[in-house]
Amino acid sequence: MAALTEQIALTRTGSPARKKPGGLGDQIFRAASYTSALLVLFVLFGILASIAYGGWPAFREFGPGFITSTSWNIGREQYGALVAIIGTLASAVLALLIGVPLSLGIAVYLTQLCPGWARKPVAMTVELLASVPSIIYGMWGLFVFAPLFARFVQMPVSHLVEGLPIVGTLFYASVPSGVGILTAGIILAIMIVPFVASITRDMLDQIPTVLRESAYGIGCTTWEVVRHVLVPQASVSIIGAVMLGLGRALGETMAVTFVIGNANRLSASVFDPGSTIASRIANEFNEADGLQLNSLMALGCILFVITFIVLIIARLLVRRAKVA
Amino acid sequence: MNAPAITSAPPQSRHTADETSPIRIAVKNLNFYYGSFHGLKSINLNFHDRQVTALIGPSGCGKSTLLRTFNRIYSLYPEQRAEGEILLDGQNVLDPKIDLNELRSRVGMVFQKPTPFPMSIYDNVAFGLRLYEKLPKADLDVRVEESLRKSALWDEVKDKLKQSGMGLSGGQQQRLCIARTVAQRPEVILFDEPTSALDPISTGKIEELIEQLRSEFTIVIVTHNMQQAARISQFTAFMYLGEVVEFGPTNRIFMNPEKRQTQDYITGRFG
Amino acid sequence: MDAVNTLRASAPPLKASRVRSGRRVADRVLVVASTLATLLGILVLGSILLMLIIEGVKGFSPLLFTEPTPGPGSEGGGIANAILGSLVLTTLGILVATPVGVMAGTYLAEYGRHSKVADLIRFLNDILLSAPSILIGLFVYTLMVKPMGSYSGWAGAVALAIIATPVIVRTTEDMLRLVPATLREAGAALGAPPSKVITSITWRGASAGIVTGIILALARIAGETAPLLFTALNNNSWFSANLMGGIPNLPVMIYQFALSPYPNWQQLAWAGALLITVTILALSIVARFVIKSERAR
Repeated sequence: MAALTEQIALTRTGSPARKKPGGLGDQIFRAASYTSALLVLFVLFGILASIAYGGWPAFREFGPGFITSTSWNIGREQYGALVAIIGTLASAVLALLIGVPLSLGIAVYLTQLCPGWARKPVAMTVELLASVPSIIYGMWGLFVFAPLFARFVQMPVSHLVEGLPIVGTLFYASVPSGVGILTAGIILAIMIVPFVASITRDMLDQIPTVLRESAYGIGCTTWEVVRHVLVPQASVSIIGAVMLGLGRALGETMAVTFVIGNANRLSASVFDPGSTIASRIANEFNEADGLQLNSLMALGCILFVITFIVLIIARLLVRRAKVA
Repeated sequence: MNAPAITSAPPQSRHTADETSPIRIAVKNLNFYYGSFHGLKSINLNFHDRQVTALIGPSGCGKSTLLRTFNRIYSLYPEQRAEGEILLDGQNVLDPKIDLNELRSRVGMVFQKPTPFPMSIYDNVAFGLRLYEKLPKADLDVRVEESLRKSALWDEVKDKLKQSGMGLSGGQQQRLCIARTVAQRPEVILFDEPTSALDPISTGKIEELIEQLRSEFTIVIVTHNMQQAARISQFTAFMYLGEVVEFGPTNRIFMNPEKRQTQDYITGRFG
Repeated sequence: MDAVNTLRASAPPLKASRVRSGRRVADRVLVVASTLATLLGILVLGSILLMLIIEGVKGFSPLLFTEPTPGPGSEGGGIANAILGSLVLTTLGILVATPVGVMAGTYLAEYGRHSKVADLIRFLNDILLSAPSILIGLFVYTLMVKPMGSYSGWAGAVALAIIATPVIVRTTEDMLRLVPATLREAGAALGAPPSKVITSITWRGASAGIVTGIILALARIAGETAPLLFTALNNNSWFSANLMGGIPNLPVMIYQFALSPYPNWQQLAWAGALLITVTILALSIVARFVIKSERAR
C-alpha cells in the first residue's frame, strides 16, 4: 500500500498566483478582539481603584466611624455615611416591596391571561418603561406624582395615624410635601418593574407547555398553576431577577435626587425626606473639594461594594437570562 | 485543471469499481478522541482517485467523524483530536506543521444542511476563489460561471447572481455549496450526508451531479441511505462502533458481504 | 393537592360547587391583581408621555433649535447648543464603544468559548452592564477631569462610551452565538482563516442583531445624566466645538433648568425632556423592528 501511495505526485500543480490567506492579519485580528475584551476588565478594576483612591483620605481620617456616623457637616468637616447608607437601603427595599409583586403580576398576566393579539403590544409597552431616561422619572415623580401623593396619601394617612404608637412615627409626615424616602421607593419600583417583569416572563415562557397543560388538565385554577407549578420551577431565576432589580435601585441617581428631598438627617418616618449615596454624590460633587470630595468618593466606594455584591449574586442566579 | 500526475484508466461505468486507480487518501492506524471518548479505533482505509467511496453504518458509528478528519475540520473544537496518519498524496495531513487553510482548499466539504453564506450567489461562489487566487474580475466571472455550470445551477441562477444565496430553495442552496467547493478546484470533495435535508427530486439532482463530478474529483460521501450508497458509489466502507467492519467495491459489499454484521445492516436487520 | 383529590371522585358532571370557594377567590384575586398591575404599568407610561406632551409642547418653537440657552432669569432662547452638544457626545461615545464592544463580543463568542479568562470577562461585563452609572462618572472624573484640570466634552464622551460598551458586548456575543456552527465550519472548510470567517460570514449573519445592540446602547446613553454631571457638565455658551471644556448637553441642562426658580428655564427643560424622551423611545422601537425583520427572513 505504502508503495502505491508514494507513486502519487507529492506536489499539487496549482496556479502560480496562489496566495496565502491568514497569517499575520489573523493574529492581529485575534489580538485586537482580545485586547477589547480585556478593556472590560480594565474598566471595572479602574472604577474600583479610582474611587478607592479618591475615598482613601476620608477612610483614613474617620476610620470605621465613617460608616457608623450620622453627621454630615461641611462647616466642621465631619462626615459620616450612615444616613446615606440607610436611605439607600431603605429606598431600595421599599422599591422591591412594591415593585416585585407588580412585576410578578405583569409577568403572570402576559404569560397566562393576556389574549394573544394583545401580548406583543402590552409587553412592548412595559418594556418601553425601561427606556425612559431616569431624569424623566425624576421630573414625573417631582411634578406629577409627588403633589398627588402628598394630597391623597401623605396628608390623610398622617392625619389618621397621628399619635398612634409605631405607625404614628413610621407613617407621619411632619411636612407633607410629597417627597421623601417612600416616594423614592415608589419611583424606583416603577423603574425596576420592566426589568424584573421581562426576565420573569422569559423564565415562565421557558417552562415546558406540557407541564402547564397537565396542571390545567387536572383542574387547577390559574392561581394554582402559578403557585404550585410555575413559581417553583422559575424561583431561582426570579430571585436572580429581583436581585438585578435591587442592584439597579441601589445605584439609581437622577430620579432619586429629584424626589427624595435630600435631607441630611435620619428620620423614622418613610414620609420624611432623606438621601441616598447616589443622590448625595450627585448633589454635592460639583461644589465639593478637599475632605468633602474624599468623603463623597468614599460613599461611592461603599455603593460599589454593596451593588457589586448584589449584582454578583443576581448574575449567578440568573445566569445570562437576558440583556437587561 | 490540475490533474494528478498519473492519469488512470478512463472513467468506467457507474457501478464498476476501478481497483487499479491510484490511491489518493491512505488512512493508517487512525484513532480519534472526543475528550476521553474513543470515537475511531485503528482505522486503515484507502480511497481511490476519482472514485466515489461511500461510508455507511448506523448513527454514531463514526462515519462522519472519519470524514471530518480528512480536512481536519474537527480541529475547530479543542477537545477533539486524532492520532495516526492520513496520507493525502503521500503527505500526512495530521502533521501539525501542515497549513490547515491550504489543506482545506485542497479537500473541499459539503455539509448535511445547506450552508449558503449571508451574501449574494455570486459572492458565495467567489468566496473561496478570492481567498487563494488574485483573479481579475473577468477571470473571476468565468470561474464562477464554470463552477455554477458544473453544479448544474447556472441556468437557474444566471439572472439573479446578485441576489442573496439564502433566498434559494434547499436543493439549490446545496448545489450552490457544491459550486462554491468546486470553484476552488480541490482534489477531494467530502460530502457529509448531503441529501438528508432534501426532497427526493433535489436528491436525484445532487446524486447525478456527484456522478458527473467523479470524472474530476475524488469523492467521499457519508450517507444514511443504503440505496444511495449503492446508486452512486464505486467503493463502500461499512463502519460500526468506530471501526471499519468491511471495505470493498460497492457491488461486492452489497451483493456478497463477507461479514455477518454488514449483511445484517444492509438487509435492514439493524441500524 | 386539592385538584388531585377532587379528581379521585368518579366523574359526576362538572359543577361549579366542586371548586371550593377558597380556591376560586384566590384565583380571582390573582387574575384581578395581575391585570391591575399590567394596567398600572401602561398607565404610568401613558401619564409620563402625557405630562411631557402637555408641558413640553407649550415650549416648542423653531427658536428651540436655533437659539442657545438663555442666561438665568432672562427670556427667550432655545436649547440648540444643548441638542448639538448631546449629539456630539453620544456620537463620540457610540463611535468609541462600537468597535471595542463588537470586537470584545466577538472574542467572547468566537475565540473564548473554552477559556477561563473569557468566562471571567463575560461575567464582569454582565456586572458592568447593571453597574450604577454614577460610579462610572466618578471613575472618568478621576481618570480625566482631575488630571486635565477641567470638565470636558472628551471626558463626557468617554463616560458614555463606557456605559454603552457592555450593552454592545453582550448583544454582539449573544447574536454571534445564534449563528449556526455549520456556517463557521463551511467557511473553514473552504480554507478561510478564522478572521476571514468572522468578518465575512458570522458578522454578516448576525448583522441585524449587532445593529440592534448598537441602537439600544445609543438609546441608553442618550438620556444618561449622572455621569455627565462630573465629566461634561454644562454651560450656557454657544456650542464652541471645544471638547476640551465643559460642553452643554440636554440631560444636564434638563436637570439644572427643571430645578431652577426661573419659569423660562423650566419651560425649556420640559421641551428638552419631551425631545429626548421621544427620541429614545423611537430608537428603542426601531431597534425592535430591526431584529424582527431579520428573524422574519
